[in-house]
Amino acid sequence: MIPKKQNPTIDPVIIVALGVVLMAVAFALIVFKPNTQSLNGSSGVWSQLIVAFITGITTGGLSCLAVQGGLLASSLAHQIEQDYVGQAGQTKKSKQQTPTRTSTALPILLFLSSKLIAYTLLGALLGWLGSYLTLSPMTRAILMITIGIFMIGNALRMFNVHPIFRYFSIEPPKFITRYIRRTAKGTDTATPLFLGALTVFIPCGVTQAMMATALGTGSVTMGAALMFAFVLGTSPVFFIIAYLTTELGARLEKLFMRFVAVVLLILGFVTMNGGLNVLGSPLSFQNLTRGLLPSNGDSATVTGSSQSPVGGEIVLNVKNDGYFPSKLSAPADTALVLNLITNQTYSCARDFVIPALNVYRLLPDTGTVQVNIPAQAKGSKLFFTCSMGMYTGQIVFQ
Amino acid sequence: MIKKTFKIPDMTCSNCAMKLESLEDTLDGVKEINASYHKQNMVIEFDDSKLTEEQIIAAVKKKGYLAIPA
Repeated sequence: MIPKKQNPTIDPVIIVALGVVLMAVAFALIVFKPNTQSLNGSSGVWSQLIVAFITGITTGGLSCLAVQGGLLASSLAHQIEQDYVGQAGQTKKSKQQTPTRTSTALPILLFLSSKLIAYTLLGALLGWLGSYLTLSPMTRAILMITIGIFMIGNALRMFNVHPIFRYFSIEPPKFITRYIRRTAKGTDTATPLFLGALTVFIPCGVTQAMMATALGTGSVTMGAALMFAFVLGTSPVFFIIAYLTTELGARLEKLFMRFVAVVLLILGFVTMNGGLNVLGSPLSFQNLTRGLLPSNGDSATVTGSSQSPVGGEIVLNVKNDGYFPSKLSAPADTALVLNLITNQTYSCARDFVIPALNVYRLLPDTGTVQVNIPAQAKGSKLFFTCSMGMYTGQIVFQ
Repeated sequence: MIKKTFKIPDMTCSNCAMKLESLEDTLDGVKEINASYHKQNMVIEFDDSKLTEEQIIAAVKKKGYLAIPA
């Protein structure tokens, strides 16, 4: 007879789960700490990491679980089965040893740790590859638009809009999936460790989108940090659910996929919009709405502080949260000097771009940089932006 | 050995293909399974003296999918 009640003990899984959650929260707290200066002194870097982390914790964990959960569950099942058989085979002398679930926590933790390391390395590799692509803001813009289209395509695939969108999901080669599947049957400690690393070959849709973003960073460090933040964000959710259920119910999975699709759609549009900004396109959301809604906050700032050029010079304040004013007026048919003033500015606003003039300046965190603007025709507009397409503005020539 | 194609209309991602391919390990008489999320189908090579079409459909159903002979 198996006793129904056992002495209440703290399940080691809960301790490990709490550890993972605390680690993730600690990371988030560091990131969210106000006025935090980043690795390179740019808060734009942090904002990208925050987005990656939040994407991981909100959608990535469950999305990855939907794709990789079965693999982990399979590995766990074999492990538990092996333990159970091992225990059953033991002599009755070890009566006091009750079957525990400690063996569940360790494989999940090993799986997640190796997954985190593998994806960080993958991020570094993608960032390195991206560094060959991001030669100019223009290339970056094209890359961002491509990534945006990839994300939107994946979202539409999840919504099952049309069979063509299935091709936005990259299918891993058969020999890899077959190899991974067979490896999952292993029962030794190294199996989950190995499997975690192998998940880089079967990324979920959200992970694929994040991988594309890592490619777009064009930096080894940033690519690695981005994937690290994302996978770290996925870990608590992955861990808890993997432990509790290992697989989502079909109905819940379907519902959840809709949620993921919506998030991916938003991220896709944001990324593509950033690319349009860096291209200096009037079709970006900011540039469109700036024209349509002249009474928004930015414009009010403009009217409040007169920015009429004096002596052929105009001033633009480059702050951590953007360009002020975001709409400048300047006389047409006159060459001008644009004074870019920074004062303890650490955000990506420092990476100043005027796409139409092919102007790119990395501004000092504090100081003034002058940019010569050739004479422009009456009624024309010059769009300016940060190199990430996050902060934008325009000069209107009258 | 015969080769048969089944339409699997409710695959939602490439992992579904992987799940279906895992039938290789559990169904007796199967030589190879190639499932494709892109094509929404599954090509199975099996020994028809050991396995029937109905058994395959049932096994696929057990995995949570509908298999329709193409």
